[in-house]
Amino acid sequence: VFAETYGEYRAAYRRAINDRPYILYRKTIFKLLFCRAINMTGDFMNKQELSRMVADILEGMEIPPMVKGGEYKPTDPGPQPVDTHCQDGDFVPDVTELDLRKLYLVEQPENPEKYRRLKERTPARLGSGRAGARYKTLTMLRFRADHAAAQDAVFSQVPEDFAKKNGMTEVHTRCESKDMYLTRPDLGRTFDEENRQKIHSAIPGTPRVQIVVGDGLSSAAITANAMDCLKAIRDGLKLRSIDPGTPIFVRYCRVGAGDAIGDVTGCELVCMLVGERPGLVTDKSMSAYITYRPHTGVSESARTVVSNIHAQGTPAVEAGAHIAELIDTILKRKVSGVGLHLEAGA
Amino acid sequence: VGDTLKSVGLDIGTTSTQMILSELTVENRASIFAVPELDITNRKILYKSPVHFTPLLDGSHMDGDAIRELVAREYRAAGISREDVDTGAVIITGETSRKENARTVLQALSDFAGDFVVATAGPDLESRLSAKGAGAVEYSRETGKTVLHMDIGGGTSNLSLIREGNILRTGCLNVGGRLLKLDNSGCITYVSPVLQGLCPLTTGERVTREQVAELARLLAQTLEMAAGLGQPTALLQQLLTEEAEAAWQPPREGCVISFSGGVADCIARDFDWLEFGDMGPLLGRAIRESSLCRGEYRLGAETIRATVIGAGCHSAQLSGSTVFCRNVALPMKNLPVVSLSREEQLDPEALRRKLTGQEGPSVIALPGFREGGYDAVTALAQSILSGVGEHPLYLCLEQDMAKALGQVLALHTAGDRSILCIDRVRLPPESFLDVGKPIGPALPVVVKTLVLER
Repeated sequence: VFAETYGEYRAAYRRAINDRPYILYRKTIFKLLFCRAINMTGDFMNKQELSRMVADILEGMEIPPMVKGGEYKPTDPGPQPVDTHCQDGDFVPDVTELDLRKLYLVEQPENPEKYRRLKERTPARLGSGRAGARYKTLTMLRFRADHAAAQDAVFSQVPEDFAKKNGMTEVHTRCESKDMYLTRPDLGRTFDEENRQKIHSAIPGTPRVQIVVGDGLSSAAITANAMDCLKAIRDGLKLRSIDPGTPIFVRYCRVGAGDAIGDVTGCELVCMLVGERPGLVTDKSMSAYITYRPHTGVSESARTVVSNIHAQGTPAVEAGAHIAELIDTILKRKVSGVGLHLEAGA
Repeated sequence: VGDTLKSVGLDIGTTSTQMILSELTVENRASIFAVPELDITNRKILYKSPVHFTPLLDGSHMDGDAIRELVAREYRAAGISREDVDTGAVIITGETSRKENARTVLQALSDFAGDFVVATAGPDLESRLSAKGAGAVEYSRETGKTVLHMDIGGGTSNLSLIREGNILRTGCLNVGGRLLKLDNSGCITYVSPVLQGLCPLTTGERVTREQVAELARLLAQTLEMAAGLGQPTALLQQLLTEEAEAAWQPPREGCVISFSGGVADCIARDFDWLEFGDMGPLLGRAIRESSLCRGEYRLGAETIRATVIGAGCHSAQLSGSTVFCRNVALPMKNLPVVSLSREEQLDPEALRRKLTGQEGPSVIALPGFREGGYDAVTALAQSILSGVGEHPLYLCLEQDMAKALGQVLALHTAGDRSILCIDRVRLPPESFLDVGKPIGPALPVVVKTLVLER
């Protein structure tokens, strides 16, 4: 910027706001000069000069007239009610059945095909269009439905016969209900004497690997993925001559419950398949937490995690094969979690 | 920071020979809390050789010894030795004697190309590589436009039709700048046999600029037909390369035409017609004046180097990051592909039928599935085991399920049986697969369309 003294600055600014060709750019010029002026203050400008300059600037600026809220008159008549031809007993279409990746609601798009292809690559709610400054009705309904599904996944129960049907013993943590589970995380990590006994009698001897299936924050994730993943882990372990042991199902389960199971069984490694906190993308996402030498008080950094196991993420079966290999590695290296990564990086 | 692969690209055409050395960066794009997902995230060119004339013994046969010398010199100039090279491709182009030349080059380069994953490609892969090397694929992906890319070299023109960054189809025409060669007095020194019947000119004859320009216009017309800008005649049929996978279908939609190859430089700029001792300058001019350049057209970011850059940077891809590999010596080269369709993949009879007649090992390509859970994977493994017989268990799936499938196969076979199970790679029928040494949990692979000897 060319202005070296305040006088020069003032002259330049005057020129800028009066010369026709500059008139369009005068805001930009003003900003540049203002920045320069601020820099100059440290050098030689005094307070008076600065306030004179600010007064000049304000004079040069066109301050837009204030508009009162009450004066706003919409010119758009807004959407007219449409006759839906619905009769009593009819059902409206289920908004949750629409594939969000294919749903593109922008009106008069420039290149809808291109946008659709972009949408296929992400679960994000893109291209939803708008009604004025708000969501369209469909977007709003779907958002609420997905939110409801996420809440349902937390509050619903894994079916009572789930463990039995899949040949597992069921135990539960100190929690007695979903409400207790959600409000008392500490109780979701420990077992009472009765359940400890149950674990003890279900699992013979001291297993090397203990697989635990826990409902966690999403029962839907467990119902959808746990058994496919478990079967793949079992076969993968058998292939590596590791005894997959006797898996156990824990209701009202938090990740820390695996540590308590480590205390009871004395196992070398716990692999817990647990429902993840549901989100708006999917309510069926499962994680595997693998802990070497699990015991109460073990550091969270000692856990190796494989997350995002669901139909749109890593398929449960393929994840299971990966987890089996990971268990093998962890048993060989005798370390899990951050330690495993540090060792691999070294 | 990811791992890197050193990749060499060699383009040996009937006219020019070039080499590049590039570095491919492989990174895990998934977080450490998820199953790894490796991808090639960067391609950096470390060295570009000058454009050499290909040493020839006669009009069309390559001089193996001289090529070996040339490549040895370029390896030294690039500061690499054979052991440094992880992957790469040698592309042998030319309108005639492709197979004989490829054999010569393979023998000549056996010292260097020993660990190369790929040795030769077909016209289909060549077209793909030149379109990627010229930046036409990237241009199409970024703009969303349909692009017809033409890599016009000395002997052939490789065509690719690209929509939204996907190569829809490829083709190859015997149209190039060196179908006719001249000395500096305007005497013809070589007429390519593919011009037989198209051009009355013969070797030794002195020709005028106008005579050559007329032939150039004829060739440019053929390119127009291939671009769907004129009624196709017998001319187009005559100049289509026989080795191309299928007959070229001119695009029906409007598209941006993009050019690379040596002749592309002559489209942008006028040279003296005898500057290069061939018809390149006049062919370039004829293309510029044809309807090809009347609509929207662009020159590739790379012109004469497009194919070699494609070969060096874009020939290798990565498999999925959860794969299964037992008792398999890598790299493996030139595995023919036996394809099973969605319906056939659970039919052991279909597999048995397709494998009979396969002499050496081949790779079984199947789509796989996402639904059905573990039981479906077990069923697929059983079906494959009952159909495969004594054939090696080399499988390539499209869906992400290779590790699980490989694991089931391993459980049900003897512990020393070779199993290779990779995924997230689509293999077109009639293609061949090269598999390199693992990089992290993934395997670098090259899919090609033509191989010579097994």
